[in-house]
Amino acid sequence: MSAVSRERRSKLASRAIQVGFLAALLALWYLGTTFWGISPLLLPNPVRVWAELKDVIATGEFLPDLKVTLGELVVAFAISSSSGITLGYLISRSPYLIRVFEPLVAGMYSVPIILFLPLYVLFFGLGPGSKIALGATISFFPIVLNTIAGFGYVEKIFVTAARSMGASDYQMFRYVLLPAAFPVILTGLRIGFTITLLAILGSETIASLAGLGHRIVHLAEAMETARMFAYIAFVVAIAATLNTITSSIERRAKRQ
Amino acid sequence: MTTGDVAVHVKDVSHEFGEPGDAFHVQALQKTTLDIRRGELLCLIGPSGCGKSTLLNMIGGLLLPSSGTVEVGHKPVRGPLPHDIAFVFQENALFPWCTVLENVKLGMVFQGVPKSEHDGRARKSLEAVGLKDFMGHYPAQLSGGMRQRAALARALSLETGILLMDEPFGALDEQTRMILGEDLSVLLSRTDKTIVFVTHSLGEAVFLADRVAVFSARPGYIKEIIEIDEPHPRKPGFVTTEKFAKLRNTLYGLLHEEIRKAVAQTAMTGPLT
Amino acid sequence: MSALRDIQRFLYRRPGVTRLLVVIALLLFWEAAARWWVDPMFLSPPSKVFSSLDSVFNTRGVPKALQITFYELAVAFVLSVVIGMVVGLAVGLSRFSHRSFMPIILLLYGTPQITILPLFILYFGIGPPSKIAFGVSHGIFPIIVTIVAGVQNIKPILMTAARSMGASRWQIFRWVIFPHMIPSFFAGMRLGMTGVLLGVLLAELYVSTAGIGYFTTLFTQNFDPTKLLGLISILAAMAIILNEIVRRAEVYFGRWRTD
Repeated sequence: MSAVSRERRSKLASRAIQVGFLAALLALWYLGTTFWGISPLLLPNPVRVWAELKDVIATGEFLPDLKVTLGELVVAFAISSSSGITLGYLISRSPYLIRVFEPLVAGMYSVPIILFLPLYVLFFGLGPGSKIALGATISFFPIVLNTIAGFGYVEKIFVTAARSMGASDYQMFRYVLLPAAFPVILTGLRIGFTITLLAILGSETIASLAGLGHRIVHLAEAMETARMFAYIAFVVAIAATLNTITSSIERRAKRQ
Repeated sequence: MTTGDVAVHVKDVSHEFGEPGDAFHVQALQKTTLDIRRGELLCLIGPSGCGKSTLLNMIGGLLLPSSGTVEVGHKPVRGPLPHDIAFVFQENALFPWCTVLENVKLGMVFQGVPKSEHDGRARKSLEAVGLKDFMGHYPAQLSGGMRQRAALARALSLETGILLMDEPFGALDEQTRMILGEDLSVLLSRTDKTIVFVTHSLGEAVFLADRVAVFSARPGYIKEIIEIDEPHPRKPGFVTTEKFAKLRNTLYGLLHEEIRKAVAQTAMTGPLT
Repeated sequence: MSALRDIQRFLYRRPGVTRLLVVIALLLFWEAAARWWVDPMFLSPPSKVFSSLDSVFNTRGVPKALQITFYELAVAFVLSVVIGMVVGLAVGLSRFSHRSFMPIILLLYGTPQITILPLFILYFGIGPPSKIAFGVSHGIFPIIVTIVAGVQNIKPILMTAARSMGASRWQIFRWVIFPHMIPSFFAGMRLGMTGVLLGVLLAELYVSTAGIGYFTTLFTQNFDPTKLLGLISILAAMAIILNEIVRRAEVYFGRWRTD
């Protein structure tokens, strides 16, 4: 057998293991809850979860919470991206400023920002304000750092070449710095977006009156475990979709 | 140069990647027969993709031939023979997390040398290659030339009868190559190892070797074997003699059209893997 | 105005000093804002926070809560490292298990675990075990991923060289793969520590009867920004110290790296 066909068989076997693994999990889940007496309060039956999920989607029950969460996400991201890119650009203008501020920003980022949540709740209450504040705060840092990295570390040779051809400051920014920095900044924005979503879901879970995170907690407290599972699946799907969208935007924009 | 018994006997050895009919089937080396004499320095030279490195790896047991056999001391080679054969690779094969001294000692750990001998042998070979003051350095702190000296020291410390070197100076600049080549000639003249040395450089082949095997373009075969009758160690002045120039020109004549063929092959099929 | 020039030149040569001045300026801004512009119910000036730190410690239950939280962090971290190392090696060393299981691991790594926090509480209760579990769940993935990378990234020439010198499979693991993987391992530990901090703190803030989460809720509900800021500062300091320890370890053990 040649090396090529051996390789192909190995790939097939791996794929089989993955599928088999997931199928086995699903099977155990179903059997455990249907026949082996696991309490539905702890682990609901997958069939019921599916039914609940269909119900949630059909009745549109998720809409108000989804609107709250997405609204908070958009506002928080808008705040952090605009302020982050601006500050990042200003800092990147001089190597000295980079040396001063970059370690500072990186240092602040190393503190678990989630600790700020009680403060924001104290300040803004349980409404969207505290979620937006936390989301914006958390995503601010990677955006600033990536913007600094993007603008601040443009290859000197490009700047030198442009300058030697007589580029003005504006031309330098528009035709050299911005295109060079763009991919790095875009990565920062994607990371920031993902983190914002996680921060908002997290703060909704911990202290909120509305939103998808809160809905899941509410269902947990009401012991409606099956419906909770449905919402969890729903939220995971939404997060995955948003992730895919932002990643493909990033990839498409990078394909200059 | 000793005539006499054969250190390595290569019989009808060929190598191909994939199977005939596969999309990327490549015949790297055609059936080749070669006797490598004990104590000689044999150079393998040829264009890219001619199979010289493949042949070297098969001699050393790192690759199994598609046909034919390799015998070292009448034993067929079916895998690495660390007690008989040591390698020096082109790529930096020193372990970056070990100092130079630790690198050399680690080779002996693998070969199975008793621990009490490690330090002595390691220091001796490092001194021989001129790295006496750098034993505690990490590879990242050394230049390319020094790293290859360390790799050579590691190979020498294994005290094998055969040394296989695959373009050991390939990644270095011309001046470093010149110095290392001269030092290598001095060093090797003191040992009685059998050495097979793959290179791209015509000058290097003529300077170092007792015999030079010239390969054709892919699928490779040995076009001709040139004898170089010049005592070891080779003096630096050898390079300026008429004898050197004639030998180099002979090699050039044999190789030039093969190199052209190889370049044309690459242009058609894309970069070689 | 040459004094100004001198100051400028001094600062220019010492960015660290400038940084310090920036931090001081921010603290002053905070102080001013808390004293004159913001309702004291919502914000407390740093001077007050700092001077009242001892009252935070004297609040009944706080020292114990800090202890419990630290215990949760430590256990979660150790478990993450052990499990992460075992799984990482198992997946990384075999090409087959890498191909089979890595996609599953990456899939799990990418899901927003915050959504299943209520499940963790449901299964593990409201005490330390759930915090530890949630911490481990966040900590193992970066460790697994970096260990797998560390094992797989090894240059093939190094393996070939070892083989050519007669190394056995155990020798290859012990002397080639393992030392090569160590810097990645410590990088993973650094990320793992971040994950563990996040997981444990999230769980604490969600529901806590004896950990620091209880007190953050208490201080919030009582509109006591002084004690709240004090407690947060203590926790932030703890996090910074833990992070710094792992980061230094990473630098120390990665000394031979050139990348």
